[in-house]
Amino acid sequence: MHLDPIFIIASALAIAVLLASAATHKVRAPARFARQLADYQLLPDVAVRPVARVIPLVELAIAFALLVPVSRAWAALGAASLIALYAAAIGINLWRGRRDIDCGCAGPDQAQPLRPVLLLRNSALVALALLASVSPVVRDLVFFDGFVTVAASAVALLIYAAADGLLANSPLLLKLIGR
Amino acid sequence: MEGLIVSNVLLWVLLVAVAFAVMGLVRQIGVLHGRLAPAGALMMDKGVAVNEAAPQVTASDRKGRPVNFGYAGEKSQLLFFLSPTCPICKSLLPAIKSIAKEQADRLDVVFISDGDMDAQQKLITEHKLEDATYVVGPEVGMTYQIGKLPYAALIDKTGTLRAKGLVNSREHLDSLFEVEHLKSATLQEYLNSQPHAHDHSHGHSH
Repeated sequence: MHLDPIFIIASALAIAVLLASAATHKVRAPARFARQLADYQLLPDVAVRPVARVIPLVELAIAFALLVPVSRAWAALGAASLIALYAAAIGINLWRGRRDIDCGCAGPDQAQPLRPVLLLRNSALVALALLASVSPVVRDLVFFDGFVTVAASAVALLIYAAADGLLANSPLLLKLIGR
Repeated sequence: MEGLIVSNVLLWVLLVAVAFAVMGLVRQIGVLHGRLAPAGALMMDKGVAVNEAAPQVTASDRKGRPVNFGYAGEKSQLLFFLSPTCPICKSLLPAIKSIAKEQADRLDVVFISDGDMDAQQKLITEHKLEDATYVVGPEVGMTYQIGKLPYAALIDKTGTLRAKGLVNSREHLDSLFEVEHLKSATLQEYLNSQPHAHDHSHGHSH
């Protein structure tokens, strides 16, 4: 399957920015991330610290690789599997009934409990990452294509941030109206 | 063709702006949620009943002067129960001081604490409370059955307890004055009585 490069570069750019911002949150507060990872109870205690160190590095590496045309397709597959892995971690804990742990999905001021809707969010991201892994139609890119690509990924990221904020707000709203 | 490109650029720019505005709105809603919950000072169902005469007790402040609680007087009294070991109490002190200053003509603010005198002294110098009425001792807290801190109670001029509750923020403190104004025991009670009180003369639409 071949697609116009604008779709592919825009989604690669959006996923790259997303992973890079996720990695900076984790690098800035390593202790908090290690605690969140431990809360998921998927790793033996000895493995939590080293894994918490490695995950942000992997995210950053994938983010950089997404921006380079040569490695883009592989990096996109890597990003898709990483996000699917997170979804699996959330799914396992939902299945265990541990809904009250912090998702650790977004930044520090957006703590939110685990809910099935987070799986939906992650599958949308996986779809976006898979879109970036498709090989593009070969054509000359002009300046205008660059503009559309950047604008499209900016809109995608802003809408993602807004949707994420709404997801984080909804448990607070339910609490407020007393459910 | 030129026109289409211009229109396309314009649409993208405006779309980015709209998406940015939506994200900003969502953020603001999140902040509002953080400030709202829980609505009003939490009232525990024990101790002295609101809208009844406050128990009368006299204690001496840290300079040895007697302070009367629950007696009729010229001004209302705001009792603020705190402890040097309670961080939220300290974070509320600026709000209490500004209320004391704003309503100096109708409100006496009394700080009530208990425990180690050195720690009290440190808190007093740190927050410049040298001139405030500051009572150290267990009597008042026991009379009013204070179990949690920071706690505030509002007694009006006639010696009637008008409002009380656990206060964790400036909004909670303000809610005490609001319920005094609305003549309900708690904000929650006022909200629950709303359907029957449409002819209420104050225009408070919460």
